[in-house]
Amino acid sequence: MEDSKGKIGIKEFIAIIILTIGTKLTDDTTVILYKQMENAAWMSPFVICAFSILPIFLLIKVMNIYENKNLADVINQLFGRFFGFFTVMILWFLLFSALTIDSAVYTDIISTMYFEKTPVIMIYGLLMLVSAFGAKKGIEHIGSVAWSVIFWIKLSLLAALILTFMQGEILFLFPIFGNGAWEVVKESSLRTSLNAEFLYLGLIFPYLKNKKDYKKGTWIALAIITTELSFSLAAFIMLFDHKGIQLMDFPFHETIRYIEIGFLENIETFFFPFWLIASFIRFAFYLYLTAILFGSLFSIRNFEHLLPIIATLVVFLGIIPENPTFTIFKLRESLLFITTPIFIILPFLLWAAAKLKGEFKNEKAKASD
Amino acid sequence: MLGDLLKKAFSSNKKSNPFHEKSNKEEIQIKEQKIHSDLEYSMTIFKEIYSFPDNKDVKFRTFQIGGLKKQACLISISTITDIKLLDEYAIQPLLRNDNPSFSIENVLAVQALSTVEYNKDAIYEINKGNAVLFIEGYTKAYSITAANFQGRDVSNADNEIVLKGPKEAFTEKAASNISLIRKRIRDENLIVESAVISKRTKNELFIVYIKDLANKQLLDNIKKRVSSLNVDSVQNLALLEQHIEERKLSLFPSILYTERPDRASAFIEDGYIVLLMDNSPDSLVLPATFWSFFHISEDHYLRYIYGNFTRGLRMIAIFITLFSSSIYVGITNYHTEMIPPDLLLAISATREKVPFPAIIEVILMEFAFGLIREGGLRVPTPIGPTIGIVGALILGQAAVQANIVSPIVVIVVALAGVCSFLVSDISMNFAIRIIRFFFILSAGFFGFYGMTAVFTAGLFYIVSIKSFGVPYLSPMTPKYTSSKDTVFRRLLKNEIFRPGYVKPKDMKKT
Amino acid sequence: MKKQKHLIKMVCLILLVVSLGGCWDKKEIERNAYVVAIGLDKGKEASLKITYLISNPEYGSIQQGGSTNEPPVEIISFETDDLVSPLYKANAVIAKEISYNLMKNIIVSEKLAMEKEFIRWMYDTTKEKDIRRDTYLIFTKEDASKFILENQPKLETRANKYFEFIIRRGIATANIPDSTLHRYLRITEADADLFLGIYATTEHEDTDQSNKGDEIFAGQLDTTGKTNKTQFLGSTVFKEGMMIGKLTAEDTRISLLLSVAEKSPPMLISFPDPNKKEYRIAAKITQLKSPKVDLKMNNGISKVDVFLPIHMDILTDHAMENYAKDTQKREELKKYIENRFEKKMMKFVTRTQEEFKADPFGWSLIARKKFASLPEYKRFGWMQAYPQMDVNISVNITFGDFGRQSRLPKLEKVRD
Repeated sequence: MEDSKGKIGIKEFIAIIILTIGTKLTDDTTVILYKQMENAAWMSPFVICAFSILPIFLLIKVMNIYENKNLADVINQLFGRFFGFFTVMILWFLLFSALTIDSAVYTDIISTMYFEKTPVIMIYGLLMLVSAFGAKKGIEHIGSVAWSVIFWIKLSLLAALILTFMQGEILFLFPIFGNGAWEVVKESSLRTSLNAEFLYLGLIFPYLKNKKDYKKGTWIALAIITTELSFSLAAFIMLFDHKGIQLMDFPFHETIRYIEIGFLENIETFFFPFWLIASFIRFAFYLYLTAILFGSLFSIRNFEHLLPIIATLVVFLGIIPENPTFTIFKLRESLLFITTPIFIILPFLLWAAAKLKGEFKNEKAKASD
Repeated sequence: MLGDLLKKAFSSNKKSNPFHEKSNKEEIQIKEQKIHSDLEYSMTIFKEIYSFPDNKDVKFRTFQIGGLKKQACLISISTITDIKLLDEYAIQPLLRNDNPSFSIENVLAVQALSTVEYNKDAIYEINKGNAVLFIEGYTKAYSITAANFQGRDVSNADNEIVLKGPKEAFTEKAASNISLIRKRIRDENLIVESAVISKRTKNELFIVYIKDLANKQLLDNIKKRVSSLNVDSVQNLALLEQHIEERKLSLFPSILYTERPDRASAFIEDGYIVLLMDNSPDSLVLPATFWSFFHISEDHYLRYIYGNFTRGLRMIAIFITLFSSSIYVGITNYHTEMIPPDLLLAISATREKVPFPAIIEVILMEFAFGLIREGGLRVPTPIGPTIGIVGALILGQAAVQANIVSPIVVIVVALAGVCSFLVSDISMNFAIRIIRFFFILSAGFFGFYGMTAVFTAGLFYIVSIKSFGVPYLSPMTPKYTSSKDTVFRRLLKNEIFRPGYVKPKDMKKT
Repeated sequence: MKKQKHLIKMVCLILLVVSLGGCWDKKEIERNAYVVAIGLDKGKEASLKITYLISNPEYGSIQQGGSTNEPPVEIISFETDDLVSPLYKANAVIAKEISYNLMKNIIVSEKLAMEKEFIRWMYDTTKEKDIRRDTYLIFTKEDASKFILENQPKLETRANKYFEFIIRRGIATANIPDSTLHRYLRITEADADLFLGIYATTEHEDTDQSNKGDEIFAGQLDTTGKTNKTQFLGSTVFKEGMMIGKLTAEDTRISLLLSVAEKSPPMLISFPDPNKKEYRIAAKITQLKSPKVDLKMNNGISKVDVFLPIHMDILTDHAMENYAKDTQKREELKKYIENRFEKKMMKFVTRTQEEFKADPFGWSLIARKKFASLPEYKRFGWMQAYPQMDVNISVNITFGDFGRQSRLPKLEKVRD
């Protein structure tokens, strides 16, 4: 009747997206947004969302032509072997850098906010060990784990946000446009790659039980992520005001350090495990994606075996930067800028190539049969 | 070193038997033979096989059948046969008969009668407690069903106690166990298949399922696994469980072991397969998911709210058992800021004179509690309660007064201990108690970070294990159509689906 | 078999890693000395004199194996240059590792707070992991070290409890403002309003307070009996991170009432009876909504209109005027109080405009609403504009009940 062979359903799909992209609100991505937009940063998720609708739409259109091909295969098919290889290579490089930089940021968060004296390599090692273990279990299990914990993670986030709103001051959101309405649109558009993970989701397209879920899941997740990010950005401002928040390294963690519930004054350690679980799942998924891409680059079938190597490489690259909080922040910002045009243009190119090659007609012909 | 390796490499080619075993080829040959028409000859063989007269309870009753005027011999093992039944309904009718033309089948007034043609079948029947009638000139023998094994009567369930609902439990007799299930499911589609699973003892296994519900693939899988066992004897289901499970080293059980016929029947009705055996006051249900270990039958007997209340309590209890000690270790060593100030100072004050680090203190107490628990289990009933009191109260109190542990540790560990009893399934109970130590260690080394890492890795593991092809956390994830009976159950009128993951032939219950 | 070997290897590896792991951030709970409050003074040689108030966990504990005859707290003062390095320096004297986990109060002497350099040390607190932004800032008249020494709570066994209770209660009764590190940093960074800090002292000051009502500072409340010398009353005013003045209890309350950023707690006040000046009326005032502040900008001069709705319960009626019964008297009383409030508030606002040249009410937040973007708001420059503003306050009082038993007998009839 019902069978699941390494495939995921819509629930798991959405859970993965929310955990991978939604977790960004807890790291220094928020600071990148605050830096230019100050107290209007909460609007930028909507702008970013608006900018990413078209690329995602085109991507879904292209992906839906093919039944059992992932993004890398589609790129190879549409761009030909040479350009395809080149594009996939760039994609892989971007993903791998994102993985390295993000995991370094998370390690930095853990070591500055919670474990000051523990050597960074131990924290990093454990983070990657667990993530690689998870990634090795495959997409089905990443999805299952994501789905089984997402409720609790989001509940804890919701609790934190409600407490923040209660203790915050709504007047801090004014002047409403921060550095100016135009500024908000401009700066947000440059950071559209905040949603670049949606591009990479094409890689797990063949693993979906139902192909329609890809479309539906992507849109639902995009809506959830945008609201969630926007609310959090507003909440942090309401607590710290726009000046204070720019001085902070990790607003989310400062927030959970500040809020309190009744007699419990220091509750950040209640939120810490939930955040950690989300991070583990996030990096497990990143590692998995990196392995898929690498596998399809060099046509390695059992790409799961690459995971320990990739994870180790990430750890050793990630601990290189000295004074991680700032170096990595800079790196991350530049990475965001570099990724943005690719994220916006690539789906368009794919769509155009498909159109030229007449793939859409084939699809229609198939459908009418 | 190298020499050893070389030697090993060469010796592995030759098959040599390291044990000095006596060959019983001859005996096997005799057993394979057909029953001989010469009664005298057959009896000599059988007397030899059964070591008559050393073997005291094997009886050879020789007599002449009235009417037929033929010698006959009835072999039975008196301790496992109903002698009275044999005497009244088999021997007497045969003796008193004087009609020269009659068939044996019509004279024997017993319930079930079958014929056997081979010596080995005759032996099998005798060992099962039946009597076998050999008649001069016949190349077959009659097996008279008269087995009468000694055993307990049906009694109350000891381990899975409920306040509301049936109190019966399985006993060591498979026949009465099957009867208990049939009593609940009066359906001609309820099949009780039997299979012999061991070579020497010939233990018999009963596979119980409903024909038009149970998934064929699953059934074949189980049958294949059971028949491929290559062992001399499997005494009971507890041993069989370990033979047929997939992950023998896994912490988590993958087959449910229950002593309640009502529970077993409920599973059968959902399309699961139940195994029964003689000598086992219980049944095996497969496939099993995490939830089947978490649930007890009373959850459904209690009204909706009460049942879910106990479910909620049990879930919390599992969390307390798993995490209370490790949270204590994590907090006192790494995250002191999260405790309310007064409690922080109180813990600090009581720990002032304790000589051990918190983690050692906790492990010490956990160990002591484990000892008391295991000890209390083996103590003869009359002094059992005393041990409990001495262990828990006096020991804890004295340890605190002697400044070996702090009072808060006693509370934490005792709470975890008590909470662990809410999980009534013994396998899951062990699993949770062992996992607790992983958490304590990880908390000791890395605080909440370590605990979360272990938890996440554990979660990845638990979603990836399967019991007979069924994911462990289904139907929660991956999702299947089902009645959604996971942490909380739903109203009975809403529980209309059989669990999709066992792939029953009929999904809807209504 | 192979699998088992693999497993054993893995377990060994994990154990190895884990055993390498132990003990970096690990701190046994009883090996910490829990600092409840730190005192900051101007140092003689070094720039700062720091005082630690360390709580003794064993004191006052009745658990087995916990009670002791040791004193409740340990106090140590020494000179240093910043807030972080003394953590280790103190261990020359203190046997345990200093922990800021319970540190909820920073006590600063007035003298230090008035220094320009003060803000530098405050930013030290944002560097240290265990100092939290919800730490209370208390400013003392005398040296913080002396304050900590002299402060001897009578009934609160533990110092952390004492500070927690007295500050919470002080805020709830509006005797002192809610002054946390977070607010200090936030207001200083916003650079528009004034920050109010808690004012406290152990020094008693003999003043004639007969007619002063609530116009007193900490140390000016006459108390006799056998109790703690410490008083928490009034507030200190900070502009751009530096202390520039003090407010009495009454001014503190007014600034709370006029503040838009937070709701003020119910207050108990007293004022002379309009009809018989020798008697005073006690009343409880509750702020129903935060004041409605409206900012109007006309080239150059801006105008602020404040509308303050107050709910008032009259608690005593010593003049035996029976306000509950008489509508007209009530109306008169209402007018009188509204007038009195407006006058007092105006006086205070004028003082802030002239003396402090900034407002402690958070009105700049209202101004922010008027602008679409930050650059425009910055060009306007709230702090510079405030002293010239035309402020207009109107108070609207609604009466609640007049005590449990609202009517009183006619005094003449009782006395005949």
